[in-house]
Amino acid sequence: MPKEISRRRFLQGSVALTVIGSSAMGKTNFIYFKKEKSSIPESITTKTSTKKAEEIPFLCGICVNKCAGFARVEDGVVTKLNPNPYFPKSRNMLCARGNAGIQTTYDPDRLKYPLVRIGERGDGKYKRVSWEEAYNAILHGTDKFKGLLQILEEEKDNRSTIAYCNGEGLSKEGFEVLMGEKIGTVNYVDEVSICLETTLGGYFATIGTYGEADLSNADYLIIAGANRAEAIITPDTMDLFKRSKGRGLKTIVLDPRFTNTAAKADRWYAVNPGTDLAFVLALTYVALSEELYDKAFIKKYGVGFEAYKNHIISHKYTPEWAENITNIPAKEIIKTAREFMSAQSPIYYQGRRSVFSKNDFQLRRAMAIFQGLSGNLNKKGGIIYGEPLELPEEEINSPIYNQAQGRFDKHNIAILSQRAGSWMVFRNMVVEKKSPYPVRAMFMRKHNPIAGVPNSAKTIQFLKQMDLNVMIDILPSDSMMYADVVLPEASYLERTSPVASYGLLEPAIVQRKAAIEPLYETKTPEQIYKELAEVLSKPLFEISKKYDNELQEEVKKRGEKNVYKEDGYILSDAWEKDVAERNRERVVKAFGEDAWKILEEKGVYYSNIEKYHKQVNANEYQYYPENKKKYSVETDNIKLVFNFRHLADIGVDSMPTWKDEYLFSVPEGKFRLITGRHAQFTQSATTNNMMLRDLIHTNYLWINRRIADKKGIKFGDMLEVKSKVGKVTIKAYPTEKIAPNQVFMIHGFGGLSQDMTMAYGNGANDATLLEDIHEPVYGAAVMHETNVEIRKV
Amino acid sequence: MKIGPLSIPLKEDFSLKSILGFEKTPVNMLLALSVIAMLVMLVVGIGNYLIHSHHAYNVTRQHPWGLLIAVYIFFVVSSTGFCIVGSLGDVFGFKDFTMISKRAIFGSIVTILAGFTVIAFEIGHPVTMMIYNVLTPGLTSAIWWMGTLYGLYLTFMIIEFYFLLNNDMKKAKIFGLTGLLVGLAAHSNLGSVFGFLNARTISQGVYYPTYFILTAFITGIFLSFIIMGFRYKLNFNEKTKKLLEGLAKIQGLLISILIFFMTWKLLTDMYGGVPTRSDVAHHIIHTAPFWAEVILVMIIPLLVILKDFGKSPVLMFWASLSGMVGIFFMRYNLVHDTQVKPLQMMKIREYQLSPEWIHYFPSASEIMISLGGLGLCILLYYVGTRAFNLDEEEGH
Amino acid sequence: MARYGMALDYKNCINCKACEVACKEENGVELGAEKHRIWVGANDVKGEWPLLDIASAAFLPSQCQHCEDAPCQEVCPTNATYYDENHVVRVDSDKCILCSYCMNACPYDARYVDDRTMTVDKCTFCSDTRLARGETTTACQATCPTKVRTFGDLDDPNSEISELLRTREHFSLKAHLGTNPKLFYLT
Repeated sequence: MPKEISRRRFLQGSVALTVIGSSAMGKTNFIYFKKEKSSIPESITTKTSTKKAEEIPFLCGICVNKCAGFARVEDGVVTKLNPNPYFPKSRNMLCARGNAGIQTTYDPDRLKYPLVRIGERGDGKYKRVSWEEAYNAILHGTDKFKGLLQILEEEKDNRSTIAYCNGEGLSKEGFEVLMGEKIGTVNYVDEVSICLETTLGGYFATIGTYGEADLSNADYLIIAGANRAEAIITPDTMDLFKRSKGRGLKTIVLDPRFTNTAAKADRWYAVNPGTDLAFVLALTYVALSEELYDKAFIKKYGVGFEAYKNHIISHKYTPEWAENITNIPAKEIIKTAREFMSAQSPIYYQGRRSVFSKNDFQLRRAMAIFQGLSGNLNKKGGIIYGEPLELPEEEINSPIYNQAQGRFDKHNIAILSQRAGSWMVFRNMVVEKKSPYPVRAMFMRKHNPIAGVPNSAKTIQFLKQMDLNVMIDILPSDSMMYADVVLPEASYLERTSPVASYGLLEPAIVQRKAAIEPLYETKTPEQIYKELAEVLSKPLFEISKKYDNELQEEVKKRGEKNVYKEDGYILSDAWEKDVAERNRERVVKAFGEDAWKILEEKGVYYSNIEKYHKQVNANEYQYYPENKKKYSVETDNIKLVFNFRHLADIGVDSMPTWKDEYLFSVPEGKFRLITGRHAQFTQSATTNNMMLRDLIHTNYLWINRRIADKKGIKFGDMLEVKSKVGKVTIKAYPTEKIAPNQVFMIHGFGGLSQDMTMAYGNGANDATLLEDIHEPVYGAAVMHETNVEIRKV
Repeated sequence: MKIGPLSIPLKEDFSLKSILGFEKTPVNMLLALSVIAMLVMLVVGIGNYLIHSHHAYNVTRQHPWGLLIAVYIFFVVSSTGFCIVGSLGDVFGFKDFTMISKRAIFGSIVTILAGFTVIAFEIGHPVTMMIYNVLTPGLTSAIWWMGTLYGLYLTFMIIEFYFLLNNDMKKAKIFGLTGLLVGLAAHSNLGSVFGFLNARTISQGVYYPTYFILTAFITGIFLSFIIMGFRYKLNFNEKTKKLLEGLAKIQGLLISILIFFMTWKLLTDMYGGVPTRSDVAHHIIHTAPFWAEVILVMIIPLLVILKDFGKSPVLMFWASLSGMVGIFFMRYNLVHDTQVKPLQMMKIREYQLSPEWIHYFPSASEIMISLGGLGLCILLYYVGTRAFNLDEEEGH
Repeated sequence: MARYGMALDYKNCINCKACEVACKEENGVELGAEKHRIWVGANDVKGEWPLLDIASAAFLPSQCQHCEDAPCQEVCPTNATYYDENHVVRVDSDKCILCSYCMNACPYDARYVDDRTMTVDKCTFCSDTRLARGETTTACQATCPTKVRTFGDLDDPNSEISELLRTREHFSLKAHLGTNPKLFYLT
């Protein structure tokens, strides 16, 4: 048997290279061997054996996409993650990150035990405590921080003094139930406002859906500001690149950078960042002025077409006009518009990404309209409306807190989202003391706002300002370092998650099952919600009773016991049954017992799966027969809103309009900072993944090669990059793949948490540099409107 | 001394005292200290290797052969060279050269032992090698032939040396001839280790197997000057002068042939238009070690020889030292230049420069083991001069 | 008994490196920048922004080519490198002496030293993991998002790979060296 480098030895080796603080946390970094059902593998990668092993269906959680797979478990160790061929969305694939998910579970730096802060915020000094002690610390505080009880007492049961945030994931809804419904605060922010909020908003407002692009059957694709080769979304990524390069899907890529997607394009236009709107308006101008659009479709579904036509023509959004703005030659715009409109099945890809410029909402509207002009909606090869599989809703008994005050994060925002608000606006108002009442506690889960929300310094200030910060997470993130109580969560291979439904064209439901028992002392999110709720229920009810007159009346009327129980004040009653049991109930209710059996075994279910699902070749499967795919559906959602009059009432352009203020100027000697994704890396959490670190160990600053030559900057030189709000140092990557006045870095590196030993201090974090600019419709953070200066150091 | 049926005529005064009883001149002291230092380095280098295995070396996936391979080649070429020079007298019967035979054959033994010592710490599993070389021999492998033949060669050299010591010239001749043939076969196989490399066009072909024999002879003559220089403290008698003059003349011819070979090798490499051969050749002529090789091995010794057709043995001694340093570069260049062009020319990570030329510089452990090999070689040789009469026996 | 090969629809490749990670996890490959059995290569795009040469930016997945006439096998002094019963080029780590000759002889840079065993390691077509369990795909093929790879028996005229090679034009890497690779790049 070859001698393997043990995980422990590897860790010791790597620890020796990094600075370990004198923190108590440092001690908990070492692996705690626990021989139970689940165990820690002896080496970093484990060769799969030739024996039969358990294959447990799971759903990948390393990014937001949700690919299905089977976890191979040998002697309590996950040795391999394999793709699940039954799931139509991820079509029998796992990407590099998906495969490397094992390393998240076995990350030696994982949060292993509940922790309570004993040092100052940010210094990483924590004490290992029991779960009970941790919950009690949240309730009662310690000598270092205040507890929830005291805070609510002081705020007279204004539940909204507690804020919370949660990143995307299957257990996010549960956290929303705990914090929003049961504990009862309105102040919720999540990843949407630093992500695709305007995209969803723009598309729903215009064509009534975000839809799915049927790239398997389309024949012409404009893909702008979406990098499907490096920001993988299924099935789009798979369908697209099997047919690009002269194989049926003509692909036009717009991106300021020459991305891997551009490398697969028929044509690449190096669009000036933030000017896609001008490009789309010019395409629209060509289509309208040359009458290339689908008249029948517009007649049937169009709202305000004539007004829009006049609007476009009268504003003279000509290709020549757009050339100056976008950096794309007019003749190319004309060619593209004509090709698009004459194609059988053209798609202007909707994309989904962070907001890059202030006009993003209008851009999405214009894109959706342009797509609609082709009439290629709700049909094969177009944007699919489809039919998702519905799962029964679960009822939550939400108490009413009369003392809880309302949302305030609407400063300079047209539309306040119903669910989560604008991270940036919310944070800034709190920091700038513009909130009508104090926000004093922050509950964070699976979210690292310091790395994610532009202007990290302000986020740190925000967290420092809180009386109580709680973090539920897997890894000791940057933001965790500011938490007072840390609750370690099971990774996605260690937990069964609420069943979910995905897909419109080929819909399916999918279930993540725990492949192994939670390692160390971690717990599943739902278990944490339940236990925390149990601890908080009674004491918090007592506070409400004290300050809420209506509650006092009710208690008088119906008796405390009844009110407590019937009105939802037993906070943990939402988790009476465990996740697996609830999944079973919901699935059986909707689809029957057989469906549950199939789901348990295959991880995936849809009607007739056993009949429809067939292997086509070694790599490909049929999920639905051609005539059962939901290419065209009867739905009232189909519409094409050219002129959205209501928007004007709230101060938003009712039709996409170019404004000169959208032009962004880069002063001489400065560079526009743009950010983006990479195929071997998701976000700050994956910087600590040993496997991915092999593939991309840090981020670099892309700078145009000729500019770099002039400045004497060579590959690997250290650069200081400075914006109005922060500065970082990062290595240089001179390349022709970027414009002379721009620089680019992958988002997510530059970890501040010393306890993530692989990620700490590695590369640079774009959020430190990005100015806190938001767009006017939803208050979504704008990522590409920061200028920086660079200096060799 | 008698070991079983064998009788080994040791010098009568051979003892630890005789070993330490060298004249304590500054040069000798410096040499002695250097040898001790080199042996210490050998121990440290080996220790490092035993602890860190190949991590102690700067060899990589792209450059798997490093300094130790070059030094191994350096020693075995030296051995072959000694063997050729030694054979001139006792195998081929050139009377003028008989006086150096015993010394040269002994030199061939110590150099190959030093070579084997160095390679033992380069081959990852030398014991496995000995087992599976026999159990599952790779007969298509140049390394198998080279290793096996060198093993035989060492045996023959030792036997030859035994008979030389015992003045049994007839048997010495038989084993000398056999040893020489096996040695030449082994040595050209070492050249073919590179010549068979289809993937490395710069080395592939017949050049190295033949060139190795030529350069071995050249090396042997350089070494002859060095050992004779030490033997006579640069104060040569007439007989030795005659020997050295003859050797110098042969050396002049050999170096000329070498220059001729190398010129055409380089010209055809550079302008033959073979991909990954011409670009590598162009690259090579722009590197310093290449010019070190040319100047130290070819230009300096040839100029000295041409000055008076080999009649300045003292100058030739110094030119031979230069030549041996150059020969080291020659071996290093051979190993490095074979690998200098990456076989995989694409970027496999986003943030890297496109592969260009592979850089290699030996690690401290590699350098220490290499110098240790040299120290070992000198020590063994010195002990030999104390133990045996390496001079020609009177009356022969 | 089969003669395994792989066809690569390499134009599908987006350089996501799922194959490389799947290979490492399946086969317990050592971590480290130069420890990889398979990889994806990319060239620096030619031209100056914004007039870049898209065609120069192709991605090329590569690994051991499992040559019919493998130079690595010929040069191995102890026959540690051998062809197994399925014509897969394998290394018997018990016999490997780490002379590294094979690493120098392989024209494809497909071999590296596994520091745990201190022997030479390379792609096995998952012979001792997936194939040994009766699975019919390699880890790299199974996981590939854009389905670049088709693994199969070249001796079976009905196999998918045989069909692909009959009907699609293809090339091999460094074919002029006469190594007869069993990796085929479909055009």
